[in-house]
Amino acid sequence: MAEGVPVRLEGITKRFGAVVAVDRVDLEVPPGHLVTLLGPSGCGKTTTLRIVAGLERPTAGRVWIAGEDVTDLPAARRGVTMVFQSYALFPHLTVFENVAYGLRVQRLPAAEVRRRTLEALELVGLPETAGRYPAQLSGGQQQRVALARALVMQPRVLLFDEPLSNLDAKLRRRVRAEIRMLQRRLGITSLYVTHDQSEALALSDVVVVMNQGRVEQVGAPEEVYRRPQTRFVADFIGEANLLPAEYRDGAVEVAGYRFPFVQEDVREGPVTLMVRPEAVVLAQDGAGLAGVVRSAFFMGMTTEYLLETPAGEVLATRPYRSDWRLAPGQEVRLRFEEAAVYLLPADAAAERSG
Amino acid sequence: MARALAVPFPRWSAQPAASGWAAATLAAAAALPWSRAGRDLGTWLGDSTGLRMAQDSPLAVVVLVLGAVALLASLWPGPERARGTVLSAAGAGGFLASCVLVALRGTPLGPGAVAALLGFLTVAGLGFSLSGRWFVDPSLSAAVLWMGTFVTVFILLPLASVVVASVWVQGRFTTEVLWRTLTSSAFLALDHPGTPDPEPVWALAAGLGAGVVAGLVSWARGRGASAVRHGAAVGLGAAGLAALYLGFGAFRNSVLLAVVVGGVSTALGFLFALLSERSQLPTRRLMGPLSVLPLITPPFVLGIAMLYLFGRRGFVTYRLLGLSTDVFFGPLGVAIAQVLAYTPIAYLVLVGVVRAMDASLEEAAQTLGAPPAYLLRTVTWPLARPGLANAFLLVAIESLADFANPIVVGGGKPFLATEVFFAIVGRYNPHEAATYGVVLLALTLTVFTLQQRWVGGVSYVTVTGRPTGARPQPLPRWLDWTASGVFVLWMLVVVLLYGSVFVGAVTRLWGFDYTFTLRHLQDLHPQGWHVLRTTVRLSAYAAVPSVVVGFLIGYLVNRVAFPGRRVLEFSSMLSFATPGTVMGIGYVLAFNQGPLLLTGTELVIVLAFVFRNMPVAIRAAVAALEQIDRSLEEASTVLRAGATTTLLRVVAPLSRSALLSGLVFSFVRAMTAVSQVIFLITPQHNLATTQILSYLEYGSQGRGAALASVLTLLLVAVVLGLQALHRRLDPRAAQLAVG
Repeated sequence: MAEGVPVRLEGITKRFGAVVAVDRVDLEVPPGHLVTLLGPSGCGKTTTLRIVAGLERPTAGRVWIAGEDVTDLPAARRGVTMVFQSYALFPHLTVFENVAYGLRVQRLPAAEVRRRTLEALELVGLPETAGRYPAQLSGGQQQRVALARALVMQPRVLLFDEPLSNLDAKLRRRVRAEIRMLQRRLGITSLYVTHDQSEALALSDVVVVMNQGRVEQVGAPEEVYRRPQTRFVADFIGEANLLPAEYRDGAVEVAGYRFPFVQEDVREGPVTLMVRPEAVVLAQDGAGLAGVVRSAFFMGMTTEYLLETPAGEVLATRPYRSDWRLAPGQEVRLRFEEAAVYLLPADAAAERSG
Repeated sequence: MARALAVPFPRWSAQPAASGWAAATLAAAAALPWSRAGRDLGTWLGDSTGLRMAQDSPLAVVVLVLGAVALLASLWPGPERARGTVLSAAGAGGFLASCVLVALRGTPLGPGAVAALLGFLTVAGLGFSLSGRWFVDPSLSAAVLWMGTFVTVFILLPLASVVVASVWVQGRFTTEVLWRTLTSSAFLALDHPGTPDPEPVWALAAGLGAGVVAGLVSWARGRGASAVRHGAAVGLGAAGLAALYLGFGAFRNSVLLAVVVGGVSTALGFLFALLSERSQLPTRRLMGPLSVLPLITPPFVLGIAMLYLFGRRGFVTYRLLGLSTDVFFGPLGVAIAQVLAYTPIAYLVLVGVVRAMDASLEEAAQTLGAPPAYLLRTVTWPLARPGLANAFLLVAIESLADFANPIVVGGGKPFLATEVFFAIVGRYNPHEAATYGVVLLALTLTVFTLQQRWVGGVSYVTVTGRPTGARPQPLPRWLDWTASGVFVLWMLVVVLLYGSVFVGAVTRLWGFDYTFTLRHLQDLHPQGWHVLRTTVRLSAYAAVPSVVVGFLIGYLVNRVAFPGRRVLEFSSMLSFATPGTVMGIGYVLAFNQGPLLLTGTELVIVLAFVFRNMPVAIRAAVAALEQIDRSLEEASTVLRAGATTTLLRVVAPLSRSALLSGLVFSFVRAMTAVSQVIFLITPQHNLATTQILSYLEYGSQGRGAALASVLTLLLVAVVLGLQALHRRLDPRAAQLAVG
């Protein structure tokens, strides 16, 4: 089994004509970690991934794998394999031949090819499909074959290009767990690209949030979720209520409601208050931000409330309670769970954070 | 609030169409003459109106009565279903009775007969729909019957006539002519009587050798059991090819040519397709004109050019190389001309294949460590294989059906397509011609069926997941440069050839006297210009019906479920797989006597054009329809629009681009048709293409070149006009419009 190797990107920039797809990206991937590049379409995450794969040449910057500068090496010689969004299985080859393809390129003896191929198919749980063709498999199975094909090469780095986006929701959960389990077990350094933030949070050791070619924030999933450094990150990951507020003397004041809260890394004065919807507590009266219920949507596990407050619109997600429901037009008081509150600078413009 | 149509009075007001058609049918059948005096479409026999005939013929009475029944049924306020059943019975009955009446009379059809037949057909169609038997909109069901009739009369009947004529000689069924023709050495001779060596034995030996080698190679690569199969297949193929190579006769020439030209054109077409999509050199920009070339080339142009450049006193062979040789006249010359003519066709098919190949497959192979050459061999080539087979088969069909090149450059050697012509025109033996026709038809149909079944459906292009935005890999440098070199050479040859035709049009006597002269162009007056005008006129006449019929059939086959749908589809595409000469004698045999007498008229030429070009329109229609979401038509139906309204106001405008292309392609194809119409022309109705042939036959090469040049320029203008119009109408589709 392969040992994890570190991957380093330094100043990676990619221009397509006048368009800057990737803008001076620096990244360190520790050995054996799964790092996810997360962002909306067009943010440069796939391009960055392809640069690591060797399928694109960066306009500027260098790529290091296991301490070796591979920037000028073609994809075929980097020891990096990729699981594609469309799986890219060879339709004219059987499952076995698909997985064995890379081994055959190396002209390994037939017995070893056979052994390793079947081993890889066992690993993804599909040994019985060896003789079939990709068109005869379901989407989930095709995806696993693609994974087996990537793993059988014992790569130094494993790349994933939105591999789950063609699967339906239930399948996605299952395959996601399998991928994570395999990656952990084998200890292969992995770089994962997705636009689905819940997927990123569930899978990764480190999340890299990208926007318009630049890195907005790098951190562990929980860190990125609870302490977003920019408005974009706060907004992109989960839902976020962003309200203008004032931070002074160890307390936050928003539209007349004042509550104690201390955050070291922010200066006194105007700030942006970020509160996740699940951290908004609603009460009939008492202390809190005055609000009026605009709409209430029953979602099964939770009820989603849209509230109108002097500070702006607030989205609150409360666990379902059969005994207490709010109707539109009702007046309520909003309070915030301190543990889920975070302050961003007032303008909360996109900042580069490493 | 709007009330629904729940009115208590008779619902005849909802079925005005049926009444109108029934009334028109009855009136026309009764009052219009059913017969013509002769070939001329305008002279009718005044005493052949329905009413007049009813005095002598009970059948005519039946026809008129059924017409009346239909009219009454359409007005009768009974339940819709019953009304529909009566209508359909009256319509079907009237149609059949009219057919029998017409057949019994045996005189050429007049307007009364045509009106009656089509009228009853429409009534029957409307009746089928109203009775609920066909779950189809009334006007569409009538359209189905019309299209079915047209296809039967103008495609199936001629073909059937050819087949019948090969075994029905002078009133008896006999295989004598068939047998005699097929066993003659002009058809196929495997053992040359002049040489002592046994050619067939050599061929078998070659096949055996090749088969054994192939089997061993296959076995060595670990394929075990299938090695025997591989060996047998290769052996058989090699034996066949060797036999053909060593043999003689029309069959041998045509089949060998098809195989060779198919292979070479496909290879070149693939090379050029790769170049066009993946080259990094600027030469790829020149590839645009390549795809248009087959359109704007009238027949005989390549033949004339080959004559000019490689003939006895050709520019290249005589002037430059000092040879006076005939070597380019015969299968070799025809092969060269056909490769030049058909590579663009293979290119067009293969460009689509290369473009559609999923680039992420190649990227995946790269990440698995495959170097460029290995990648090409193990991924690109297998993916392209079905497309290559497709291109090969299409070129093979074109080669088999080719008439123009063998006639000019064939050096008098026999080819299947030309033997059909010579058997009738030279030897006055329609049965022998029919035999050649049947063989040719069997060959092209086999290839066509192979193409549809084996390759038509299979696509290795994108099977897994969704295609990504991956970019295709550029060609390895050595391949890029070599292929570009080949392409440049190709373009030079093409320019040289076309150039020689233009130059030949203005030189006094090619090969002897190269002084500039406008005499050939002047000599085109008046005959040449008159012929050109006729050609343009008839092609224009044919273009609109061609597109309308083709579009209608395309729509019916693609969107409407009715019994016999597959049959209609197959029959319509049949004229695509049928060589022109075969269809040509089919038309002569079918329409030279009896009620369907049409030969000698302009109409038959126009009809030949329409049904020859219909498959092009059908294909364009189907392609356009596939882009239109069915829900648009469903929305129209929900808003109570009948099928005709939906077609005219929703589908047609959205298919504007395809309709325009279809129109222009039909026009251009009609302008360049020769093999089918060569049997249908008369001194009064002559066409430009056959006129060029005449000029060549009578030695006026200059005039032939002049007319060919004018024709080419006209076609270039038309196609450029189409492209400009397309850019105006629909900039996106303009890219895909050509080819």
